[in-house]
Amino acid sequence: MPQSSQDSSKLFDEQVSRLHELHYLVLFWAAQGEGRGCKYNITNCFDDLKHAGVTRTKQTAVAAIEGLATLCFIDIRDERNRKNIYITKYGAKALEALVMSNQFQPKPSAFLEEQ
Amino acid sequence: MTIGIGGAGSKIAAKLDSQAVLVNVSETELNKVPGGARRILASVHAAHGQFRGSRKNPQIGHDAYQSVRRELLELVRGNMVFCSSGGGTGNGIATGLLQDLSKVGDINTADKTFFGIILPYAKLESNEFVNNTIEFLTGPLAEAIDSGNTGNIVLFNNKKKFEEKISEDRYNQLLVDSLKLFLSIPDKNDVYRLLDGHIDHEDFALFISKPYFNHFTFLDYDPVKPFGEQLDANSNPLLLEPEAAIEALFLLEVPRGGDPTIFYNILQYFSEKNVSPIYSVVENPDRQKPFLTVAQLYSRKPAELVDDFNRITEQHVQAKVKKSLDQNVVLHKLDVNMEQEARRAVKQRGDTEDVLATLRRLGKL
Repeated sequence: MPQSSQDSSKLFDEQVSRLHELHYLVLFWAAQGEGRGCKYNITNCFDDLKHAGVTRTKQTAVAAIEGLATLCFIDIRDERNRKNIYITKYGAKALEALVMSNQFQPKPSAFLEEQ
Repeated sequence: MTIGIGGAGSKIAAKLDSQAVLVNVSETELNKVPGGARRILASVHAAHGQFRGSRKNPQIGHDAYQSVRRELLELVRGNMVFCSSGGGTGNGIATGLLQDLSKVGDINTADKTFFGIILPYAKLESNEFVNNTIEFLTGPLAEAIDSGNTGNIVLFNNKKKFEEKISEDRYNQLLVDSLKLFLSIPDKNDVYRLLDGHIDHEDFALFISKPYFNHFTFLDYDPVKPFGEQLDANSNPLLLEPEAAIEALFLLEVPRGGDPTIFYNILQYFSEKNVSPIYSVVENPDRQKPFLTVAQLYSRKPAELVDDFNRITEQHVQAKVKKSLDQNVVLHKLDVNMEQEARRAVKQRGDTEDVLATLRRLGKL
């Protein structure tokens, strides 16, 4: 059954409202990495989340990334034996909404700082 | 007979003497010079004919000298040689010639060679000319002077030419006119009525066979003014400045009915300098005022010669050296990894760029 744009907007708001800080950070760093021309992969993301003190387990990090991928906020591409993360246009809208809401504060990515 | 070596030397020799022998390493250059009776092409063993000059390289001229050595050594006996010290042909061939003259035993007075050397004007002429000249003055020329086997050496100076912006042909004519005036001294003794002293052809030949530098000059002589001041004020602008005279020669031409005793002041001046000049006083009806031709022979050591040459433009040469040193900036090899540089630039932009601006730039918003 086709959805109306109102339904889509409602669903999007609902999805964004369920995002946590670690989702925000994954989107933020993925966007930042892409802006700098860096390949940002799942391992880098886990290291950064751990470094930022958001999580200590890889499972949590992987779960957040997979969740974002399921919601079509990010694409995960297998490139040269690495699973690289790319923010989608839909994910960009979600990140914009999170930034505008001022709900979370950005944290530096150790990986991107080193590049 | 007159021998002109290289471009500059040939032009002067051909102007001075219709019977001149011209020597060059380039057929083209040799044919460019009008006049002269004979042309000698010194061989440089070039693969494609000899149409190029020695390109300011005296080594080319020196190598070519070997092909004309025997002939030139014979030709220059008792004759005049003109060359420049800055270029490749005049400098190179004259170097060989002077070195050979230095090595032979004593040369008879009548066989000594009179050299006219054209020095470049360091202020405006190229550094190669200046460096070639310094090597020439301190090397073969100094050696030849020490051997005593040359006649007078006249050092022409291009200063006037460049400062007064005179065309080369006109300047060469000035040099030749000046030389002819000096060389006409014994003829004037033959032609005009002799009032005192005497310089015959033998006296003159003996004078120009002495191995010293010759500075000759001309002036309208005023017997009222001190002679020394007049001499200092009238040094020949076509020649390098002279030093203290060792020997001197003068011809005083007085107008018809002029006072023939005014030459005593000149004798007095030279006497105070411990010089006993050869002189003559003649009556020249074409002159309105007393006219004096003076030649002073002086000696210089090689280093002093270079000083004389440099003194004219020492400051300018120093400025040139400083400029070339200033320009000698070492350029370090830039070992740039373009990929890293691009990343650094992007990172720098990313640090300051808002994430939303990044997304807009990426076309995702």
